[in-house]
Amino acid sequence: MTTAPSGTHNFKVVLLGEGCVGKTSILLRYIEDKFNDKHLTTLQATFLNKKLNINGKRINLSIWDTAGQEKFHALGPIYYRNSNGAILVYDITDEDSFGKVKNWVKELKKMLGSDIVLIIAGNKVDLEHERTVPLEEAESYADMVGAKHFYTSAKLNQGVEELFLELTREMVERFEQNTRTDSNRTSRVLVVDDEAPTQSTCCLGYRSN
Amino acid sequence: MEGAYDEIISDNPFFIEFKNEYSNLFQHCISQSWIICVPRIGSLNTRVFTVEDFCAHVLVPSDELPETHYSTLTEKQVTVANKVITLEVTKGLPLQSHILFEETFYTEDFIKYKVWCVESPLEPNANVGDNAVTKDCLLSINDCIDLLWTQAAGRQVLDQIELNVQQFLKKHSSLPIALAPLRDAVSELYTQCLQSTLQNRRLREKCKVSKHLLENIKLSVECYMQHLLFDSLFKPICTICAYEDSHLNKKIRNMCDIQLRDLDIKKELYHAVPKAKQILSKIVTYNTVLEKVLCLKQALNAINKTDNTNNIVLLTADDLLPVFVFLLIKSGLPNWYSQLKYMKEFRFSGVGNGDGDESAFLITTLEAVIEHIQSGALAGPPNPESYYYETNLTEDNLNYINQRKNSLTESISTCDTNGREETLEYVFDLIKANNSEQVQMLLEKNQKHLESLQQNEKSALKLAENQDYNDEDDDDDDDEGYELEIYQKLCHPLCSCKKCCSKISKNLLKTSPTVSSRDSHGLTPLHVASIHGRANIVEILIDMGAKVNVTDLNECTSLHYSAARGHQNALLLLLHSGASINQTNIDKNTPLHLAVNNGHINCVKALIYFAEHGRKRLQINCTNEHGNTPLHLASKWGYEGIAKLLIENGAEPSLQNRNNKTAFDYAHNFKILQVLKSSTPNLYEYIHITSTDVKTLNCKTDNPVTMKLQNLKVKNNELNNVSKTVENLKRIERIFQAISYGDIKLACFYMNIKYENYINTNNITNRSSCHPLCECQLCKKTHQAVSDYDINFSDTNGLTALHFAARYGLDELCKILILNKANINICNKKGQTPLHLAALNNKTVVIRLLLDNGADINAIDFSGNTPLHDASEVGNIGASKILLNYNPNLNMLNGSDKSAIEVAKEKLHLTIIDLIEKHTNKIK
Repeated sequence: MTTAPSGTHNFKVVLLGEGCVGKTSILLRYIEDKFNDKHLTTLQATFLNKKLNINGKRINLSIWDTAGQEKFHALGPIYYRNSNGAILVYDITDEDSFGKVKNWVKELKKMLGSDIVLIIAGNKVDLEHERTVPLEEAESYADMVGAKHFYTSAKLNQGVEELFLELTREMVERFEQNTRTDSNRTSRVLVVDDEAPTQSTCCLGYRSN
Repeated sequence: MEGAYDEIISDNPFFIEFKNEYSNLFQHCISQSWIICVPRIGSLNTRVFTVEDFCAHVLVPSDELPETHYSTLTEKQVTVANKVITLEVTKGLPLQSHILFEETFYTEDFIKYKVWCVESPLEPNANVGDNAVTKDCLLSINDCIDLLWTQAAGRQVLDQIELNVQQFLKKHSSLPIALAPLRDAVSELYTQCLQSTLQNRRLREKCKVSKHLLENIKLSVECYMQHLLFDSLFKPICTICAYEDSHLNKKIRNMCDIQLRDLDIKKELYHAVPKAKQILSKIVTYNTVLEKVLCLKQALNAINKTDNTNNIVLLTADDLLPVFVFLLIKSGLPNWYSQLKYMKEFRFSGVGNGDGDESAFLITTLEAVIEHIQSGALAGPPNPESYYYETNLTEDNLNYINQRKNSLTESISTCDTNGREETLEYVFDLIKANNSEQVQMLLEKNQKHLESLQQNEKSALKLAENQDYNDEDDDDDDDEGYELEIYQKLCHPLCSCKKCCSKISKNLLKTSPTVSSRDSHGLTPLHVASIHGRANIVEILIDMGAKVNVTDLNECTSLHYSAARGHQNALLLLLHSGASINQTNIDKNTPLHLAVNNGHINCVKALIYFAEHGRKRLQINCTNEHGNTPLHLASKWGYEGIAKLLIENGAEPSLQNRNNKTAFDYAHNFKILQVLKSSTPNLYEYIHITSTDVKTLNCKTDNPVTMKLQNLKVKNNELNNVSKTVENLKRIERIFQAISYGDIKLACFYMNIKYENYINTNNITNRSSCHPLCECQLCKKTHQAVSDYDINFSDTNGLTALHFAARYGLDELCKILILNKANINICNKKGQTPLHLAALNNKTVVIRLLLDNGADINAIDFSGNTPLHDASEVGNIGASKILLNYNPNLNMLNGSDKSAIEVAKEKLHLTIIDLIEKHTNKIK
C-alpha cells in the first residue's frame, strides 16, 4: 500500500492457516536463507523480507508468519490489518484445515473487504495418495471467493515460488488500480520539495500508518 | 531491520552498463541462473567497465556445494558464509565483501535471476571509492549520535535538536494527557528537528547522493530526540495508559505461577528462557523506540535453539507467541501497555518502509501477546494448587515426578479397585468440580469410619492385652504392632515386588482422607476449596471442624489462597470463622499483601471492612520479606482504587522497603502519584507531636515527609511526654469519632484493647488485684489489658480518649480506659480534666466513676474553674449533687474571684444554690 519515494512497493503478506499445515515450511522454502548470520540480523522464521524486481518494478515483500494454534485465533486481526496479501494454507490430507481456511476467508473479507489479495494453498501435495480434500471442491471454492488456488509442496519445493510470484503480481496490479482510481477521484498532488524532502515523505508515511 | 542498506539496483551504473552494453553475456548469465554481484553505488569510482569487470562479478555455483561455493567467470574461487563473500587471491590476504542484500529479478518472460548487492567490488585491483562505508545498522543511541556527529562533522546538528527539544518542553509545560494530541505534538517536533538537521549543508549534500544515508539520518534524529524527551514524555504516556496497565497487571499477577508447560512450550526451548527473560527485562532501561524494539528482538533471538550440529534452528511462529507470553508474564514489568503504546505511536521515521518492516512485526507481536493476556484466553494454570511448590521445575525432576506418579498410581490401581475414591486427590477433584454433597458425604463417611476403626482397635487391644499398657502408650504400640505385622508379611523388609507393594499401599490407604488430611505439600481440603473459591464447600468444611489457620508447606493459610485468588465469599467465610487476618506466609506476605498484589479490590475491601467491624487489627503497613507494604505493591502495579483504599485506611506511603524505595518511587504514572500524595496533607492535620521521638516511623531522615514531621514537632510539648507515632495521630481521629457515636467496641478496637475482656467487669466499679501477684482470672485480664496503644494520646486540642468518653458519658469506656491506666487527671489545652467535661455535660455516672477512681475533685482549669464551678454555671443539677457528695472545696475561687455558689447565683440556678447551701450547712 505504501510506496517509498524511490518507487519501491512495500507489501505486507500474512500467512494464515491451522497449525501443522506447513506455513513455516513454505516460508522457509521460499526464502532459502542461506546466510546464516549468527548475530543480530538473524531473523526468526516468523518474519522474513524478500526483495523482488518484476519487470523493473521493485517490490519489497514482508512476510509475516502467524501462530496456527486455535487459542491464538482471536489475535488474527492484529496481524492481518494493513496487509496487502494473505496466503491461506491448508493441508490436502486434512479436511479440518480446509474448513479453517474458509473461516479465514470469511473473516478477511469481512474485515478488509476486497483490498486484500487472497491465495489459497493446498500444501503437502507430496502426500497425494492421502488426499481428503477433493481437488474440485478446493478450486471451485477459491474461484467463488475470488482467490487464486495453488498446490504446493514445501518438501519437494513445488509451487512455492509460483505462488509468491503470482501473489506479488496480483498485489502490484491491485495497487496500481487503486492509485489510478484514487488519482482520478481526488487527484492528490504530492509536492516533493528539494529543500525539505523529508517533510512530505514523513506526512505521507504518517497518513498511511 | 531499520537502517539496513538499500539501493535501487536498476539505477546502479554498473548494473545498467552490464545489462545494456553486454546484453549477450547478461542474457546468458540469467538463463543459467548465475548470480550477478553488483558493487554498491559509490564503491566504484570508474565510469568505464571492461568485460573482465563484469565477469569477475558473475558467480557460478559449484557442482558439489552450490549453496556456499562459487567460481567467478574469471576462474576465481569464491566462498560465501555469514553474508560475506570471500575471494581467494593468489597473493596476499583473501578479499572479503559483505552481501548487503539480495534481490530476485523476474524478466518479462519470467526468467528468474538473483542479484547480490555487495559492499565493495570483487576485484583486488579495482579502483575502490574513498566513500567510507556507512554502518550497516544503527543499533543504539550511541550509533545515532555517532552518525549525526560524523556526517555533519561536528556537534552543531545535535545542539540544534537539543535546542528544539528544550523549546518544545518550554512551550508544553504540561504535556497533553491524551494520546492523539501528544503524538501530534511530538510528531511536529520531529519534523522540526529533521528540518533543522537538514539545513546543515554538509548533510544535505550527502543525503542527496545516498537515500540510504537519508533514512539513517532520519532514524538518528528520531532517536536522539526521543532520548532527550523520554523523561518528560514517558510519564504522560503511562498516565494515559494507567487503566490498561493496571488491568493488564492484575491479569499477569494472577497468572504469575504459570509454568512453561502450561503454555505448551516445547521442552527444547526451556533452557533459553531465563536468558531471554533477563534480556527482556532490560527494556525499561532503554529510552528510544529503536533500542526497545531491538531489545524485543534480542530477547526472542535468545530463544532460537541450536541443534546437535550447532546449527541454529529458527523459532517458528507457533513457538514464538507462547514463549513471548511467558516472558511477558514473568518479566515483572509494571507498564507493558505503556511500553507498547510508546513503541507503536512514537515511531516516525520507519514508516517510509510501509507497515511491514521487522520493527512493525515485533511491535505487532508484542501487541498480540498483550491482547492475548488481556483477553483472558489464558485461564492461568489448570491446577493452581500445584504451582506453589513446583516452581523450580526442571526437565529432570519433571520426569522424575511423572515416573513416581506412574508407579504410585500403578500400585494403587493394581491393589485396590476402590483406590480412586479413597485418595485425597479424588477429594480435591470433587472440590474443584464444586461437588459439595459428595465431598461432604465422603469426608463424613471417612471420619466415621476412622473413628469406629480407632474405637474397635482400642477396645480389641484392651481386651486382648488385658490393659497391660497405660493409656498414653496405647496408640503408639497399636501402630507399631500393626506395622510390624505388615513387615513380617513382606518377602524382606525392603522388598518392592508387586505383592509387597500392594500390601503396603493397602496399609497406606487405610488412612482415607478426612477433613484434616493433608497431601504431601500440606494442603488440606480447606486450602483447595479456598484456592478454587468454592464458598459453599468452605462452609461445609468449617462446619465439619476443619481448622482455618492450618498452613501448608509455604506457610500459607486458606485465607492467603482465597485472598490471592480474589474469592471474596470464601475469604469472608474464613474471616468469620476466626482465620487470623495478619498471618504471614513463608515470604512474610499477609493475605492483604496477596490480595493487593493480585489486584483483587473486593478482597482488599473485605479484609479492611472485616477488620474494622470485627474488632481485629489489620496491619496495613506490615512488610513482607522484601520490605514491601501492601501500598508498595498497589503503587507498583498501578492499582489506583486499591491504593486509595489503603491510604484512606492509614497506609503510609513514605515507608521504605529493603531497596530503600518508597511507594512514591514505584508509582509510574501521575494518577497513582496523586493518590499517594493525597495522603500526606491529611497527615499534617492530625499531627500534634509532643516529643522528639519519631523513631517508630521506619524511614530515613532525608525523606521529605520525615523532615516535615520534624519541623512540626516543636510546638505543644507542654502537655504530656508520651511518644506518638504517626499512626496514632491518624488513629485518634477515628477513635474520637467512634466515641462520639457511642461505639465502644470500635473505639476499643482502634485503641487495640480487647473489648471482650471487659464485658464481665461491668459490675466491678473499682477493682484492684486481689494481691500484687494474684493470677486469678479477673486480675489476669486487667494485666493483659495494657495495650501497645498509648491511651493518654491527645489530639491538637489536648483531648484524650478519656476526655471524649467523659464528655459523651460512656461510663463503660471510661472504666476500660481507667483499667488501661489512662491518666485520670489529664488536662486538655484549656486545663480541663475529664471530670470537668463530665460536669459540664451532666454525665452523672461518669462523674461518680471518675471520682471513685481518684479524680481530683478540686482540679482547676486555666480559668480557675473547678468541676463544681462548671456544673453550677451550666446548671447541671445531677452533676452538682454528686460532686457535692464527694466534698469539694466550696471556697475555691475561679479566675474572676467567684466561688461555685456565686457562679450559680449569678446564673440564677436556684436548685444548685439550694444544694450548695444545704451542703455547707451540713458540714458546719
